[in-house]
Amino acid sequence: MNLDWSVAWQYRGMLADGVVVTILLTVLTMAISVPAGIGVMLLRQSRFPILRAIGLVYVEFFRNLPLILLVYWSFYVLPLLIDLQLSPFATGLVALCLNVTAYNSETFRAGVNSIRAGQTNAGLALGMSRWQVMRKVVLPQALRRILPVLASTWVSLFKDTSLVSVIAVGDLAHAALQVRSQTFRVLEMLTVMALIYWSLGYPQAKLVDWIHRKYGTSE
Amino acid sequence: MSGMEPNARDQARKSAAEPPVVVYEGVVKRFGDFTALNGVSASVNRGEVVCLIGPSGSGKSTLLRCTNMLETVDGGRVLFDDAPLPTTESEARRVRRRMGMVFQNFELFPHMTALENVSVGPQTVLGASARSARDRAQALLDKVGLSEKADSYPNTLSGGQQQRVAIARALAMDPEVMLFDEPTSALDPETIGEVLNVMKQLAEEGMTMIVVTHEMAFARRVGNWVIVFDHGRVIEQGPPAQIFERPHEERTREFLSHLAWSG
Repeated sequence: MNLDWSVAWQYRGMLADGVVVTILLTVLTMAISVPAGIGVMLLRQSRFPILRAIGLVYVEFFRNLPLILLVYWSFYVLPLLIDLQLSPFATGLVALCLNVTAYNSETFRAGVNSIRAGQTNAGLALGMSRWQVMRKVVLPQALRRILPVLASTWVSLFKDTSLVSVIAVGDLAHAALQVRSQTFRVLEMLTVMALIYWSLGYPQAKLVDWIHRKYGTSE
Repeated sequence: MSGMEPNARDQARKSAAEPPVVVYEGVVKRFGDFTALNGVSASVNRGEVVCLIGPSGSGKSTLLRCTNMLETVDGGRVLFDDAPLPTTESEARRVRRRMGMVFQNFELFPHMTALENVSVGPQTVLGASARSARDRAQALLDKVGLSEKADSYPNTLSGGQQQRVAIARALAMDPEVMLFDEPTSALDPETIGEVLNVMKQLAEEGMTMIVVTHEMAFARRVGNWVIVFDHGRVIEQGPPAQIFERPHEERTREFLSHLAWSG
């Protein structure tokens, strides 16, 4: 077989841009989905049944759709629905956020529910409002407890961003596949793509393991 | 136990010149089919130390939790400062600010230092400045004998130290009434004394205290009034001298004898 690995070097600029987009997508998605996830969790914990219902429907809807479908849907349906023409990057970001927010809200819900009721009572007994108890007492403890889960979500997300390549967001997967179709170097480009994803993902996975060890077992 | 003389405080109930600060009128509380409180009536005067005693599950802690609305009441009512306890969340907060509570399991906030545990209430609820809240927290930690532990996290403190921080946290709100829910039950025997000493000191300063306790020596020496619970009812109440030396009720005698208490 005739292999030519030089194509990867030849198109290094494009691949590097793809890496930047992938990292940017991951960071932005998480930066939006953590606070949004807390928001949806608060809806689900609300005293008002209507807000609880909204939170529940959101989570059950977006958690149970394939991410790739969400990506396509955001690309083709969203513009028709609300007459909003977003760039492919923004569209991909929306799809990722919708999905990850649903997961994060469930993670936060589990974390908040794991903090014993006595802590809430102690806050209330001081005269705090329910919101103050949540903000000062429960959330900081819950956040620490779910940090390992959020870290795992992060690593999954890093790889899942590749799904937005189907709507021509210039992420790493899209860039690599572009090079592949321009040069017909299928095996080389898929291997290079795998190597780049792996070498970026592996340290993150190790970091997650470390976070698990450090925070996973504490009180 | 015979060496202990009843405190002069418990010879007579605090004068009725002032109306009682907390009044329970036929309080009923149910959890599903279980009736935790079945018509409890009692009152607490300002400056008094009222001790709630009785077997586990007899309703003492439930009554305490009804006092600051951590539990709602299903029948009867609780009056605080001559007014029935409010029903809305925001009014409830105003009442809770005026009561301090100390829990069996301390319930310190584990992500805050001792000092932060004590200052978070005034800062969050009363809008105190960070500086004044810190100064006051430090003074309160001094008071409970933990000035050098200000920067320690709860998990590095002994049970007795944690409970003293919890007392300081409750005092930081400058409460009119302190509620103690079995404050020494989760403690190692050797640290019970340090917590009881702080409570005794508070009592001597004139703090109004409602104390659920199994520490009969404390109830007898520091209490002004003792209320004996059984099966969600008050079976007897009176000054410690009555309860511990010549109880009127056979069931009081029985309960105390189970604790191997020899008047």
